[in-house]
Amino acid sequence: MNFRQLRSGALVAVTVASLALAAGCSKNTTASGNDATSALTADQVKIALVPGGPHPYFQPWKAAGQQAKQEFGLGDVTFNETSGWDQTKQNDVLKSLAAQGYNAFGIFGVSPDNINSTFQDLTRQGFQVASIASCPAGTTDDASFCLATDVEAAAYKAAKAAIAAMGGQGNLVHLTGNKVDSNTQRRMDGVQKAVDETNGKVKLVQTITDIDIDLQTAQRSVADLLAARGTDIQGIVNTAYNPAVASAAAVKQSGLPIKVVAIDDDPTILAGIKDGSVAATVAQNPVGQATVGSYALMKLAEGCTMTTPGVTIDSGSFVVSSDNVDSYDQERQAETTKLRQDFDDKYLSCS
Amino acid sequence: MGEATLTSAPAAPPQEDSTTPSGLPWWANPRVGLLVVIVALVILFSALRPSFLNVDLTLVPMQADLSVFAIVGLAQLAVLSLGHMNLAVPRMAAVSAFAAGLTYDRLHAPLVVGLAVALVVGALIGALAGTIITTTGVNSFVVTLALDFGLLGLVSLLYAWATDGVAFAVHPAGMDALRFDTMNNYCAGPVCGPPVPLVVPIALVTVVAVGVLFRRSRVGREMLMTGSSLRAARLSGIPVTRRIIQAHALSGLLCGLAGFLLAINNGAFSATIGDQFLLPSFLAPVLGGTLLAGGAVSVLGTVLGATLTSVIQKGLNLLQFQLDQLQILIGVVLLLALSLDRVRHVLAERRGVRR
Repeated sequence: MNFRQLRSGALVAVTVASLALAAGCSKNTTASGNDATSALTADQVKIALVPGGPHPYFQPWKAAGQQAKQEFGLGDVTFNETSGWDQTKQNDVLKSLAAQGYNAFGIFGVSPDNINSTFQDLTRQGFQVASIASCPAGTTDDASFCLATDVEAAAYKAAKAAIAAMGGQGNLVHLTGNKVDSNTQRRMDGVQKAVDETNGKVKLVQTITDIDIDLQTAQRSVADLLAARGTDIQGIVNTAYNPAVASAAAVKQSGLPIKVVAIDDDPTILAGIKDGSVAATVAQNPVGQATVGSYALMKLAEGCTMTTPGVTIDSGSFVVSSDNVDSYDQERQAETTKLRQDFDDKYLSCS
Repeated sequence: MGEATLTSAPAAPPQEDSTTPSGLPWWANPRVGLLVVIVALVILFSALRPSFLNVDLTLVPMQADLSVFAIVGLAQLAVLSLGHMNLAVPRMAAVSAFAAGLTYDRLHAPLVVGLAVALVVGALIGALAGTIITTTGVNSFVVTLALDFGLLGLVSLLYAWATDGVAFAVHPAGMDALRFDTMNNYCAGPVCGPPVPLVVPIALVTVVAVGVLFRRSRVGREMLMTGSSLRAARLSGIPVTRRIIQAHALSGLLCGLAGFLLAINNGAFSATIGDQFLLPSFLAPVLGGTLLAGGAVSVLGTVLGATLTSVIQKGLNLLQFQLDQLQILIGVVLLLALSLDRVRHVLAERRGVRR
């Protein structure tokens, strides 16, 4: 058979097949989901906490998840960080976990712009879904709720702290993460808002994005920044982890009188606050997110509903300086207790 | 210059494997080896985790992923046929997906129009890469690497210009059906189709078309000859410049298709489409027996290679391996694949067969 014959044969085959498909075919609309929609008991609830990928921020989730399992008597709580910052992989990881019998998911979506599709996919199969530590971009949230740091508010607080440390005037630089991430856009808005409030006394001279990939990238970028304009900047505000660590170390080493405000509260940064190389940091509440998130997922699986589905809840952000470096965690624990109470009082409706 | 030959023939059942060089025993055929490994792994994973055979949560998503990655593999295969590389696979897919998203967002075009736009944009970028390579004589590695960097910046700028964030919030009619439905949702009377996602037939047609192109069509054979020996090809009157540009255009077109399908699977046309395409694009064809040196391709092998990587990924996911273990295992697979390629290359040369 030559090519021409093959081609016409194939065309006929394809046409016949499509006609057969089109004619007499009706769509079967029965949802092919599982039956997780019926109320479960706590020991039947298996929760998976799935961050977008490995990052120091999520590490407290492991212990917090185990604690929640004990405290609430859950069937299981697992932590899976193998998504590798790839939305396609994360979708795959989630489905694999569902196939393993996990029926409630606390998800930090890799891509806030299309995570709603992932949420829809899981909820239509009857699973409980919460967006944790990051909310979907835009105004809709197809998860039951979003429990996350209000990143704009946190960035605003960080910039305010930096401006205060700078004495209310001078040039400020903002170091942050992935530009094509709507959360980064919100952080930039937060910093801009704080700068605008100084009526021109503080100038935002540069915003450097895309340097939260790893520590080395951040170090290189900070070294370039200090070499180019180290003497004419008075403050650096960080809204991403790696630049925070890099800029604290670089400023300390260079001996320049630049005030650095960091993000998160891992030991490196807390040590920086204690030795004075970091003026302040804005701590988030990862433990509260995992604990309260698991609690609410359990309640939903037990048959409660959200009074406002898709509601966004701020898990809190806390400015830490040398004054409260030893006591801020109590403030944070109090916030976590309050959040859980709020779920019982306001957000959940249980019959 | 056109892809007429490519689109001409959704044809013929997959050919029996004729690329086995005469003289090599059947077991030396990498496709047979792959098939055996895949079957063994499927049995192993299903025994360890019965949920590996869960239709809704494992098999259907795996087929949808596989459809994308088989085409990503074919996009690389198109230029590997020349002995070239396309490091811009990720961004060609991203730009094409952007073009499709923009078409839906601004023109409210039907699904198929966006697909056509994605294919055309992909093919044009591919042709541009081919043209730069042929006119400057610079190595394809360098040209496509530079192109990837350029397009990376462009994608970011384009999304910033066209959307508020980094994705189009559009859902053209039919997108959700293509994403969620399987043939099982369509019934003729009491008989429903198999649980195969609707993107699979698109991939299948593409695979057959590319297979026919390289096996049956003159253009495809001439691409392979160009890859085998540029000088010999030129001396035998093959328009090598045109073939090089066409192969790159084909690669771009397939990137466009892969980007489109991934956007469908993910449910959004976003800037991150294609980010993870580069390594799989090499892994699938090389596992399947396509020589990096050019002149020999295996379309069926590429599909099997993509299947193997999907099966491994899914199985390890289900076994809940930790991230570091997962990466080590994937690294080992890559290394094995590349060594096998070398062994086959030596074997083929020793037998005096230049495929």
